[in-house]
Amino acid sequence: MIEQLKSIAEKALRDLESISTLESLEELRVAVLGKKGSLSEVLKGLGSVPAESRPAIGAAANEWKRKLEAALEARRTELEESRLSVQLEQERIDVTLPSRLAHSGSLHPITQTTRKIIQVFARLGFDVTTGPEIETEFLNFEAVNIPKDHPARDMQDTFFAGPGVVLRTHTSPVQMRSMREKGRWPVRILCPGAVYRCDDDATHSPMFHQIEGLWVDHGVKMSHLKGVLEFFAREIFGSDSKIRLRPSYFPFVEPGAEVDVSCFNCSGRGDDGCRVCRGSGWLEILGAGMVHPRLFEMAGFDKQAAYSGLTGFAFGLGVERIAMLLHRISDLRLMYQGDVRFLSQFRA
Amino acid sequence: MRISWNWLSEMADLSSMGGPKGLGELLTRRGLEVESIESQNAGLAHVVTGKILEKGQHPQADRLSLCKVTLGSGEPLEIVCGAQNHKAGDIVVVAQVGAHLPNGLKIAAGKIRGVVSHGMLCSEAELGLKAESEGILILPPKTELGRPIADVLGRNDHILTLKVTANRADCLSHWGIAREVSASLGKKPCRPEPKLTWDSHRADATPRTGLEAGSLGPQFYGCLIEGVKIGPSPEWIIKRLEAVGARSINNVVDATNLVMFELGQPVHAYDASRLEGGALVVREARAGETLPLLDGSSVTLSGTELVISDDVKPVALAGVMGGGNSEVSDQTTRVYLEVAEFDPTTVRKSSSRHQKKSESSHRFERGIDPQGLEFAMRRLASLVLENAGGKVVGMSTARKTLAPTPAISLEAGYCAEFLGMPVEAPEVEKVLSALGCELKPRFGGWEVTPPSFRLDLRIREDLAEEVARCLGFERIPSEVPALTDMPTSQASDSRVNTRSWMDRAKDRLVSLGFNEVVNYSFTSTRWLQELGLVSTVKVMNPLSEEHEWMVPSLVPGLLANVVHNTRHRFGSESQALRLFEIRPTFHTSSQVGAVGEDQTGVDEKWRLSFVVSGPRQAQALRAEEGEVDFYDCKAVFEGLIESMGARGVRLQPLSSSRGGSLLAHLVHPGQAAEIIAGNQGAGVLGLLHPKFARQWKLRAPVFLCEVDFDALVRMARPANEGRRFSSWPEYPGMERDFALVVKSEVSGEKLTAIALKVGKPLAKVAKIFDVYRGSQVAEGMTSIAVRVIFWEDTRSLQESETEEVSRKIVEAWRKEAGAELR
Repeated sequence: MIEQLKSIAEKALRDLESISTLESLEELRVAVLGKKGSLSEVLKGLGSVPAESRPAIGAAANEWKRKLEAALEARRTELEESRLSVQLEQERIDVTLPSRLAHSGSLHPITQTTRKIIQVFARLGFDVTTGPEIETEFLNFEAVNIPKDHPARDMQDTFFAGPGVVLRTHTSPVQMRSMREKGRWPVRILCPGAVYRCDDDATHSPMFHQIEGLWVDHGVKMSHLKGVLEFFAREIFGSDSKIRLRPSYFPFVEPGAEVDVSCFNCSGRGDDGCRVCRGSGWLEILGAGMVHPRLFEMAGFDKQAAYSGLTGFAFGLGVERIAMLLHRISDLRLMYQGDVRFLSQFRA
Repeated sequence: MRISWNWLSEMADLSSMGGPKGLGELLTRRGLEVESIESQNAGLAHVVTGKILEKGQHPQADRLSLCKVTLGSGEPLEIVCGAQNHKAGDIVVVAQVGAHLPNGLKIAAGKIRGVVSHGMLCSEAELGLKAESEGILILPPKTELGRPIADVLGRNDHILTLKVTANRADCLSHWGIAREVSASLGKKPCRPEPKLTWDSHRADATPRTGLEAGSLGPQFYGCLIEGVKIGPSPEWIIKRLEAVGARSINNVVDATNLVMFELGQPVHAYDASRLEGGALVVREARAGETLPLLDGSSVTLSGTELVISDDVKPVALAGVMGGGNSEVSDQTTRVYLEVAEFDPTTVRKSSSRHQKKSESSHRFERGIDPQGLEFAMRRLASLVLENAGGKVVGMSTARKTLAPTPAISLEAGYCAEFLGMPVEAPEVEKVLSALGCELKPRFGGWEVTPPSFRLDLRIREDLAEEVARCLGFERIPSEVPALTDMPTSQASDSRVNTRSWMDRAKDRLVSLGFNEVVNYSFTSTRWLQELGLVSTVKVMNPLSEEHEWMVPSLVPGLLANVVHNTRHRFGSESQALRLFEIRPTFHTSSQVGAVGEDQTGVDEKWRLSFVVSGPRQAQALRAEEGEVDFYDCKAVFEGLIESMGARGVRLQPLSSSRGGSLLAHLVHPGQAAEIIAGNQGAGVLGLLHPKFARQWKLRAPVFLCEVDFDALVRMARPANEGRRFSSWPEYPGMERDFALVVKSEVSGEKLTAIALKVGKPLAKVAKIFDVYRGSQVAEGMTSIAVRVIFWEDTRSLQESETEEVSRKIVEAWRKEAGAELR
């Protein structure tokens, strides 16, 4: 019987070698070790074997069983591994093929720049206020100290939408509306928005965007204006930026100044070949000044008891101008053509 | 304004300026921005006088000569010349090797047809003296040799072009700039003292000057000179006028221009023999009067202008331009000089009414020195006498009593406080005195009387500016102001709110692959007509026909963008376009009489609009790619609504709309929906009408959407505001799928609505998961597959319960929608 077991087992071990699939491996296992397998069939005859021989046969059977099982298991592992590796090979794809890519959008550079600037001033406590783009001539001009038939009107060529109705030439009327509406100070506002002037070339557009700021309170000084603008310049153009104020004239402020920021490209050195500042070292960025007292009168502030000594500063900047500098955009008109080749360069 | 360095240097000490560049920097620092500096000798370095010793023939070229030229010392130079007008012995202009001429030519030693030329003989054109010239320039025979040509020709001036701001009328002359420069040095400017003295009591001029326009014409000086001889001006005057960009005319007219550019006071000279009657007055024009002007045109006066008039006719548009009927001519022997003051506003109005801008009106509009008239007249008359001869035979002065310049109270510490700049009282005093202010001390400060020419100094802020300007803005330190109250609560301000919703909407659209555009708010009649749209807000003075109307919708702009981008498409693929804009649109207000101090009668309605076209994805293999369709467009809209948390915004088929939308005709009637916010129509979303697509040759379908942004904001709710956590069902639900056949006009939404209504409370979700139209169903019918999901929050459902509800739903579908199970 032991011989029988041995021959079955050895045959099974021989068969195992030629087995190449998990399925036939399982068939072999069942055929040999299964309940009705050849080994089990042999052991069914154990009852007819003398009792004293049984332990030896049992031990031999167990020994062969163990050996067979181990061999089967080893083969199974082998086969499983090779099957997995076949599967992996079959599932190989070309990872260099294009993805299913969603479109990526972009905010207009005007919006991006506006947001950036608002964030800077928001940190200093400015609120954002907006107003209509079509304005009364009164609020656009008279109320901000630009009387009718005054030469200062030449500074801003105006579109009219009707008698006494203009396309606002600056966002200053928003400041005036805001002061009149609030009727008291302190006022700390930022007024972004589209403005219009009769002008059309590579650096002037009939519609463009401005941000004006206004801070009105007791004890506001010109040094405050300088500090606020210096902070702005550093945040937008880099932490080593400097500003320079040059005396100028805007009817709604006194004193008035043009504000230059040191060139961020050549660090204000005014390098000969600097394409950004053209060698001057400075970039003309803002107009600013201390609010002309006439504006407080127009806002009705002068009728209040505590009015005496009220001061303020105001500043204004062109959003496109800054966007053009930051992104080296050569022609202002590109901003308004809605050309995807332009817009998609400013992905957020 | 152009300022001549040479001219200025006679009135102010420029020795410490460090040349024109230094002067430019000083003026810019003081608020008089210098835009450019041109030097007359630019390009004339290495260009000197020389004498032709020999003129020979070029060995290789018939048309060229070979000259031996001496510069007075050193070896003579061999120079090849192409001109024909020179001969041996001529004094000529030699551009030496190394010169870089005004016309851009660089001179190097080089072979010309085989012979080396050591320089060039120059023509006037090459020297930048004339636009064109023939032959080379031959100088007078006695000209010294080897001298720089700039010196010989007197081209040694530097011209500074200043941008004088509208408040600085006092700086519109060389005298004004000299005052400013001298003030910076703490010195006094000086100007030529005219020989002529003025006697304002003399009234022997005919005509006599008179004032008939009240305060609009408060001063009028007249001077009659007889025996003048009209001729050319002396060289120095011609040069000065040329330097400031004016043309020399004759010795009398040039004197008037010189006085204006020198002193800032516009003046005029008449041919006295053409003045009629005994009086020359400044008066308001009579409506309908006509006046021929110096420039050859003729104006019909409205009655609001000021004129100078003799007894018969107007002879000048006061402050703007002299009359053609009294012009000084070559035959003039008697001249009548006018120096007057006119109201700035009136001059401005008449100059703009008649579109006549002149150097004179430019100065009068801004205001002249009311105390400067007499001096200007003395200077003018003296110049005429010097250069044209003759004799003063009459003077006439008409003058209202001048109001004294009002004084300004200035506290000693004010400037330091207002500017935030350390500045002590003595320094303030010094600066203001240097500018010509009179300071009268009073307790704690001064009474400051500005000089008569500083019309811009009216309030103490103006004085503070002078102090800051003169000491330098760089002396002001940088400080950060303190908040004295809390920042405005964002939530309480509806405008802040609108803005943050706008940011949110923009961000969402960008994340959905959209490019934001900013289009002009203008559009043209042609484009509006093509789109069948109407604007009610017109620009009265548009730059061009393209900018005639304010946009009533953002769609015209976006469609123009579509056309533009499609034209610039590359290759055969359809262009992926996803564009949006959020901007106001303009409409005449429905409120009657809505025009006032702060009412324009125009309503600005913010709209959100987008267009989508082309491939669904930026990149994909062909088999997986698809063009966007209505449902993609709808998904964008829904994504947007979701991002704003807008409740009560829905779409309904455009066919059932009551026709409220302005844009309904722009979309395909069968592939468009009306946007409803609350109960109001708020916009439209759909496929661009094929007729436009055909017209513009668009290959891919274009979907568009425009919605009233303010309406969305009204429905919007901040993300998660008031949101409470809710748990999900603990017990398993059941789902049932139904295949239905309905008439094609029954909307899918109707079927799901019926299921939810009838299936309450167990049917929680009903959704359409397949739609089929085609050969498998009858003509005009659609097969729709609906999945209904049932559950109960507190227990498991029994199969029978679901069956029961399903039966009811199917019954309702049959009855209410004519739907049959397939």
